[in-house]
Amino acid sequence: MTSRYESAKNVFIDSVDIEDYIDLDSSVAAYEQLQHSLDKPLKMILLFGKPGTGKSILLNRIQEKLKHQKEIHYFDTPAVTEKEFFHKLFKVLTQKDLPINTEVNFSALVDFCKNLRGKREIIILLDEAQMYGPDMMEKIRLLSDSRAVKFVVSLHKTEDEDLIAKEHFQSRIWEVIELKNATKEDQTAYIHKKLLKKNLYEIANSIKAKDMKLIHRFTKGNYRECNKLLFTIFEICEYYDKNEPAKVNYTRIPSKIIEMSALKLGYIHV
Amino acid sequence: MYDIKPLENEWKKYRKKKLKPWIIASVSLIVLSVSGIFLLPKSKIDFSKFDNSFVIASNSTYTEDKKIENSNRKTKSNVLINDPLNKLEIEKSVTDQVNIAANDSSNAFVDIPILDGKQEKTVRYGQKGKAKVHLDIVDTTSVTAYKDVAKRFEKSHDIDDSLFLARSYYKKGNYKKSEYWALATNKVDSNIEESILIFVKSKTKLGRKNEAISILKSYLKKSNSQEARNLLHRIENNKL
Ligand SMILES: Nc1ncnc2c1ncn2[C@@H]1O[C@H](COP(=O)(O)OP(=O)(O)OP(=O)(O)O)[C@@H](O)[C@H]1O
Ligand SMILES: [Mg+2]
Repeated sequence: MTSRYESAKNVFIDSVDIEDYIDLDSSVAAYEQLQHSLDKPLKMILLFGKPGTGKSILLNRIQEKLKHQKEIHYFDTPAVTEKEFFHKLFKVLTQKDLPINTEVNFSALVDFCKNLRGKREIIILLDEAQMYGPDMMEKIRLLSDSRAVKFVVSLHKTEDEDLIAKEHFQSRIWEVIELKNATKEDQTAYIHKKLLKKNLYEIANSIKAKDMKLIHRFTKGNYRECNKLLFTIFEICEYYDKNEPAKVNYTRIPSKIIEMSALKLGYIHV
Repeated sequence: MYDIKPLENEWKKYRKKKLKPWIIASVSLIVLSVSGIFLLPKSKIDFSKFDNSFVIASNSTYTEDKKIENSNRKTKSNVLINDPLNKLEIEKSVTDQVNIAANDSSNAFVDIPILDGKQEKTVRYGQKGKAKVHLDIVDTTSVTAYKDVAKRFEKSHDIDDSLFLARSYYKKGNYKKSEYWALATNKVDSNIEESILIFVKSKTKLGRKNEAISILKSYLKKSNSQEARNLLHRIENNKL
């Protein structure tokens, strides 16, 4: 027998799937800002935010939306080596594969880009850019100076580092877009919409405003933490449903289960 | 499949713990209100005592207050003058710290951060004996939260707290305070690069560029941090 909570649980598996994108007040605002910035004659745009605030999914979304109108490419986790990165870039720019065992001549690549100016405009969405070293970032900047290639650099930093990161980029990047943790309203909408997309209306309804408040308190509005917490909540519900159905309240998720999940994930302690 | 029992037990403990303060609070409230009825007429006599404790508390809560009092002594001395309780144990280390800071010329830490008058008034007294202050410092901008963190630092010397203050004040453009807290961090642990960088940046922002450069250069002799080098470059080119 499968529990109704099993499907609810699976809704909150953490993944960046463009199908699952949800329009929320904050994500719509960020999307529009990003799109607007892309239309400006900027060389680089910094998309900035704590882990789990939705940077990757936003980049995917914009690529999906614009791919028929623009040359737009999404680079996910950074290539292991610089060489690999330039191979990838070479392919995007020249639409040709570089023969194995050859390396990209960087200054030739810069010249190549300069020549593209006015002919093509290529947008590169660089996710997880905190993993590129300063040398690489410098090269990326030099390439963007050609104005034929525009980079959107997505960067996550831990709380400790965020200030320095921002300062580091402020002087070089023309636009900074920051994604923040969700407000309680956005997080509530996020949870509801995600469940409704999978037709889990009753379950969505069983999380009341008070529960949402508790969830927001535990996760501080972070989407990834929210996924984790809801996954655990439904996992526990599923267990009770299968093993001790007397303990299940189908009309309302008990705050006990929310707190148990928070304990399990270490948001709170005994 | 799922080990639910230990989790349930943990939750029960959590629940109990969470309810405890409420029970204690409500019980003591009842006790207080009952006894209050009897004690009411006496309370006048004790008034001077309260007055005293205000002076102690406001004086020892934390360093910055202390310093304001020093710098404003001329105008405000009547409040605190000759108070015998001024030299409480707790505040001793704090005062020492300030003195060291002020005397240590190699640090060139002469400027003493000054709080706005607003904050000074909101000093909370009578909190010393209280249990842990629970704070959510992530998003807060409220003045009292900063004060609470500062207070907590005086007790714990936890550099996470002082760094938080340094960073936040820098972000807010309050460079005197960010400089102060960066230095406070550095005193506890001199190996935290971030505190050095904030210290140097604050100095630069306060118009003491040459000093900042020389501190940074001496730091770079021991470390080959790229971040520090970049910063030096930016300061030298007036790009901060
Ligand atoms: N607007 C949204 N619609 C749907 N899902 C979202 C939205 N925003 C965030 N999420 C979900 O939240 C989770 C975290 O988002 P994402 O992975 O994009 O964060 P990130 O900022 O890229 O994190 P990191 O810095 O760690 O890479 C993902 O599961 C993602 O699907
Ligand atoms: Mg990501």
